[in-house]
Amino acid sequence: MKAARIFVVLMFMFMMMTACNAAPAAAEPNGTGSVPEVSGSDSAAASSDAAAGSPEICSTDAFGCAVFKPGDVVKIGMGAPMTGGDASYGFDISQGGTIAVQDSGEFEGFKFVLVVEDDGGNAEGGAAVANKFASDPALVAVAGHIYSGATSAAIPIYEKAGIVMLSPSASLPSLTTLGSAVFNRIVFTDARQGPPAAEYLFNKLNVRRLAVLHDGSDYGKGLAETVAAKFTELGGEVVITEAITKGETDYTPVLSAVASKNPEAVYFGGYTAEGAVIVNQMKQTGLENAIFFGDDGTYGADFLSRTGANGEGAFATIAPIPADSPEKAAFDAAYLEQFGKEPGTLSPYTWNGYDAVSGLIFAIKSVAVVGKDGNLYVPRGALINAVRNLTDFHGISGTYTCDAVGECNTLPPTFVMVKDGAWVPAP
Amino acid sequence: MNETLPISIARKGANVLKYLRPVLGAVILIFIIYRLIQTLLIQETYGPETWTRLVIAGMIIGSVYALIAIGYTLVYGILFMINFAHGEVMMLGAYTCFFVFEALKNIKVGADHSLAFSNAYPVISIIIAFILGMSVSALTGFLLEKVAYRPLRQAPRLVPLISAIGASIFLQNAAQLLFSPQLRDVANPQILARGSGWKILINNSSVTIPYTGVFTFLLSLILLVSLYFIVQKTKFGRAMRAVALDKKTASLMGIDVDKTISLTFLISGALAGAAGVMWGLHNSMVYYFTGFIPGIKAFTAAVLGGIGNLPGAMLGGLFLGIIESVGPAALGIDFQLKDVIAFLLLIVVLTFRPSGLLGEVLAEEKI
Repeated sequence: MKAARIFVVLMFMFMMMTACNAAPAAAEPNGTGSVPEVSGSDSAAASSDAAAGSPEICSTDAFGCAVFKPGDVVKIGMGAPMTGGDASYGFDISQGGTIAVQDSGEFEGFKFVLVVEDDGGNAEGGAAVANKFASDPALVAVAGHIYSGATSAAIPIYEKAGIVMLSPSASLPSLTTLGSAVFNRIVFTDARQGPPAAEYLFNKLNVRRLAVLHDGSDYGKGLAETVAAKFTELGGEVVITEAITKGETDYTPVLSAVASKNPEAVYFGGYTAEGAVIVNQMKQTGLENAIFFGDDGTYGADFLSRTGANGEGAFATIAPIPADSPEKAAFDAAYLEQFGKEPGTLSPYTWNGYDAVSGLIFAIKSVAVVGKDGNLYVPRGALINAVRNLTDFHGISGTYTCDAVGECNTLPPTFVMVKDGAWVPAP
Repeated sequence: MNETLPISIARKGANVLKYLRPVLGAVILIFIIYRLIQTLLIQETYGPETWTRLVIAGMIIGSVYALIAIGYTLVYGILFMINFAHGEVMMLGAYTCFFVFEALKNIKVGADHSLAFSNAYPVISIIIAFILGMSVSALTGFLLEKVAYRPLRQAPRLVPLISAIGASIFLQNAAQLLFSPQLRDVANPQILARGSGWKILINNSSVTIPYTGVFTFLLSLILLVSLYFIVQKTKFGRAMRAVALDKKTASLMGIDVDKTISLTFLISGALAGAAGVMWGLHNSMVYYFTGFIPGIKAFTAAVLGGIGNLPGAMLGGLFLGIIESVGPAALGIDFQLKDVIAFLLLIVVLTFRPSGLLGEVLAEEKI
């Protein structure tokens, strides 16, 4: 009896130990595993030694300066979904950002680092990560968040803290229209993504009866509504609009209800995890002849591996794949070497991740000042203006000029479809 | 109902309760009948093919709920505690299913070593997956009882409940750290490929009865019936019922109470493991949170059928599955609200039958 009890305790300890060993391995891909300890100087300390060598701009700046002693690291944050069914987006974009940090080098001897936190892609996680970032005095900018729901919850918090944002992928229209000073993005808004998708469905695919599904998220619902509105305007009929519950694995009931309306195509506003389930289950619910049309959230290698043969003929709208250039070739090679995958397979935003982080670092370099005491001072208010005024910044996926509300990209989406188990440009 | 309330509350609340229940019931009933007439007779929203699809989907998910619910009921029947880590036991079974098929996919057989083992010998592969999945889950259940519940056997009833919630969180996080937080897709053998199934034609529209679904449904029925026979007809079943009735007397009669409880956890774990493997085969996606929602639903199903009651858990599971799937369509409500309907139903059932559909099987000790 006693021996059995000892055995159980040992088993328990063994499980604990394996769990502990696995922890750093799981965190490794996002590049935060090896972050050097940052002795973030808090604002009280900053003001006391500020008298020594603080540049003048810090006293006039609306949000003051972030102060870095020699040897400190300038942090750039990224809130991204790193767990769950949509984690491929978080991994991919943060890996792109990691390479941007490597390429950007140092500024007057100060290194940059990308800090990735898991926000689960949802509003609660977005707010939690934003609070964490806002309380870190060494963090000056956020390349994100990745998903619109998390982003809209995070904006007010950064607004208060004076932390500038440049999102590679949050495309909800209302993010820029509500007058945020800190939020900017280098992805198209869904106001540009939805209508072309409706036109493509109506004109190119000759669809007249469309079913619209969404996952109830800010992003999915907003996009689905834009598409439905444009499709009706073009003269088509939206036969049914249904919301699904995120995170489930059985959507056959709702798809059966959709099938009873005989749509020619199903438009889905949402992400890969649910999109893949829907595509699989369309084949067993009488929707085998309907076209599946997704968005930039349903693109990626995960969609292909989860749907297999069922995914053939599915469409998606994505940010344009950047034209070939020496920078793109260098990035692609570095990404393939470090992460073992072709960029653009996990999500369409690998290059945007690079561009967002390098854009932020460019802006930081343009406003940062080294004081007489050898400390680095980053004026937060000036940084917010510098990102909003980014002009002709050359990234991999394009040249960005931010407008008055923070839209830095005006490129329309392109269309892709699944053919022979791969995403190819749609005709 | 009134007898169980403290006297002071019962006296004050009796009048209100007397009127509240029928009124509440009538309101909900009128609403349901009104919506049913609307969708079924006036608007005729859906044809027979849609109803068939909905019922099929409901029966499949319901049979999985039933299998998990049995685990709750077995443990409750014998220890009077809710094993909230049961959904996580099922999740480990689903992970085992993923790992088995991943391994068998990579074993190549045949003349030119091009055929995957799981496609060449699908029946053997599925049997291996079930044996391993059930063993892993059974072992987890067994260890869980030893580590988290046995030391607390004499503690007040709330204490093992908290321990169970802790165990559930521990298992979830352990799975996340060990197996990574990513979604995993189970590589089904080709004969059970997702989306394939028998097609029947209703109203010129082909309704698919998926092979994985039929397989899930039949297997859970077989497991449930055989469990019922074990409990009712075998010597071990008699020992189990005796322990449930009165632990002290049972041990005086020469029954090893600890062993019986351990075996009960083994059996409930094995059933959860089977449910996990079926979940993997039918729904394909497995991650550390897989067990949580089915666990909660199955707990609901067990309460719905009358907790501690084996046929009640089966009935409750199937009932819940079908209501979840047919309910939103029948009432003409958004499909996102299916859980609202399921839990509203739970409230209604418990209001009128506080001990569940088939009634709670109460041991003397508890009353």
